[in-house]
Amino acid sequence: MKLLGEFIKGLWRENPTFRIVLGLCPTLAVSTSVVNGIGMGVAATFVLVGSNIFVSLIRNIVPDKVRIPCFIVVIATFVTIADLFMKAYTPTLSRSLGMFVPLIVVNCIVLGRAEAFSSKEPPLKCIFDALGMGLGFTWALMLISAIREISGNGTIMGIYVSKSFEPPLFMILAPGALLTIGLLIGAINYFTAKRNR
Amino acid sequence: MKGDMNRMVKFGVILGAICLTATLVLAATYEFTKPKIDAQLKTEEQTALKEIMPEADSFIEDSLGKIDYFKALKGKDLVGYCIKVTGTGYNGYIRIIAGIDTAGVIKGVKVLEHYETPGLGARIDEIKTGEKEPHFLRQFTGKPAKEIFVKENIDAITGATISSAAVTNAIRDTVSEFLSKIKK
Repeated sequence: MKLLGEFIKGLWRENPTFRIVLGLCPTLAVSTSVVNGIGMGVAATFVLVGSNIFVSLIRNIVPDKVRIPCFIVVIATFVTIADLFMKAYTPTLSRSLGMFVPLIVVNCIVLGRAEAFSSKEPPLKCIFDALGMGLGFTWALMLISAIREISGNGTIMGIYVSKSFEPPLFMILAPGALLTIGLLIGAINYFTAKRNR
Repeated sequence: MKGDMNRMVKFGVILGAICLTATLVLAATYEFTKPKIDAQLKTEEQTALKEIMPEADSFIEDSLGKIDYFKALKGKDLVGYCIKVTGTGYNGYIRIIAGIDTAGVIKGVKVLEHYETPGLGARIDEIKTGEKEPHFLRQFTGKPAKEIFVKENIDAITGATISSAAVTNAIRDTVSEFLSKIKK
């Protein structure tokens, strides 16, 4: 039950994108199409789970003073593994995500979890925490990218939804990302506040 | 003092051990994925060649000094060359294939790999919605390869002068060198 709680919290209550508002740089950049959003989410989840397990395993032998470089080495290793495998098996996805796969290294969700959670908790709990956070990040990306792809390109997963309107291009450009994320976070805060009252 | 020294050595050893493990794991992953990635690059190269030179039906790989290129053949007739060009961009190398006809006029340019900044330099191979080919690379088509210069007959991408110049200069220099060698 405790483990399930660690998993659930990442999906909503401590959702990395909408509640903690971390990792916005990749969120803004890759949420131009749903395929990209899912790809980024899955890659980040893989890195989160891998690095969370290892950070947790080495948490007792790593001295406090050099913990950050140790965590970064672990994270960078998993990011490189993910990058190489994506290049080998999903070249089109790897091409469209481009630089953002290697940049998962500096995604603050990953280091944030290492520092705040897995450096203090046993591996099993960390797996659930990482899965929750990763899936939370993935669904947030999917929602944002679906909104942007439908409104900015008139497609979803590359399939045309409607040809009856000329999609406003700015929705898949940078301003569309900022608007979508801002409005979504605003709406979520509004409804949460209303429910709590 | 001695305690500090010991602690420092201990930190170093632990960090070193973690780095060593990471290196070994990465080396293994690299070796495992390398043949797959190479095969992917080969297929990509072939697709690029066909896009640049649609009229050619076969490509023969060859090299001239340090330049690797493909002879584009239609039946037995030589219709042009596709030259592999490597430019130095803002964040690393840019791998390009440039197609020229036998007179040295550019038929098409394709960027195979680059590490330019997303949103700025990465726009060298950006395809605008509703268009079929990258707007920056399209400019090269139909121009003599020896006479392409950024800001003269090639418009640079806003905010990405280095990347734009890297592509242009690399194509001009490599193709010029190639043409002067092939004529001998």
